[in-house]
Amino acid sequence: MSEPTPQSAEPLIELTVDRVVEDSTTDTRIVVLSRTDGQTERFMIWIGAAEGESIRRALDTAVTPRPMSHDLIKHFGEHLGVTVPRVVLTDVKSSTYFATVYLENKGVTRTIDARPSDAIALALRCHTPIYVTQDVWRRRSGQNLDAWLSKLETKNIGAQEV
Amino acid sequence: MITQMQVKGLMFDPYNNAYIVILRDEDQSEMLPIWVGKSEAGAISLALENVSPPRPMTHDFMKAYLDAVNAKVISIVVTDLNENTYFAKIHLTYEDSEYTIDSRPSDAIALALRSQAPIFVNESVIKKQSTEEFDQWLENLKPEDFGKLDS
Repeated sequence: MSEPTPQSAEPLIELTVDRVVEDSTTDTRIVVLSRTDGQTERFMIWIGAAEGESIRRALDTAVTPRPMSHDLIKHFGEHLGVTVPRVVLTDVKSSTYFATVYLENKGVTRTIDARPSDAIALALRCHTPIYVTQDVWRRRSGQNLDAWLSKLETKNIGAQEV
Repeated sequence: MITQMQVKGLMFDPYNNAYIVILRDEDQSEMLPIWVGKSEAGAISLALENVSPPRPMTHDFMKAYLDAVNAKVISIVVTDLNENTYFAKIHLTYEDSEYTIDSRPSDAIALALRSQAPIFVNESVIKKQSTEEFDQWLENLKPEDFGKLDS
């Protein structure tokens, strides 16, 4: 747990979170990520409703009256002096994505296994860069889903206004 | 004064479409219901039933985060009740210092169950809780609503 995962020789690709889309047919959310280097292809990950709403709140910089779960994790870091230098989407197996969250404290880096939704929800709150490996980027699903996505968004306009 | 309590069960509240975590003290003389959301109830339920999901859920991730830096949850305390909102504190030790962090009770309880940390409730909260409201809620309850209560 205390050893950082070995880096592949290929550089990581930095991503930003575009938005969270509602998939009302399955009560899940789709988090849409795009590359910071200007390439237009996107990356989509299906996540749970609660995690999706947490990411949406972070994007909107919404302040809730009580700290929500990912706010609490951020507060742990603030109290203990632990920072999150980066999160990386490291693997995909049978359509399940895996993420690694890097923690740093007093010059020591540790990594923890996470679902991408928790990694992204925490990264947005800590202003931490989000990366994906070249391998996972190549194996991503939904490469031609932009048209489908815009259809879904139009359909869900009512549902998105919360 | 604080009283140690245990999670006795989780119930679905069909009237509010929410879940209720039932806390009880050891001699069963005091009870505290806490209304929580669906995902928080799920997090508490997985810990109560000792289920390890294939991927770490949010509170497993929270626990892994604390484990990774050697921070330990010593206890959690439900500290206040204000206009039907409950407040809790998480007590941590880290590098010989103690830290107290503000939390919702649902997160604190989900984390305490995963950390084998005791759950305490301020006596003022037990006194302050609107028993009237809960009694009324209980009266409206049908027998089938009790299906989800662990004994």
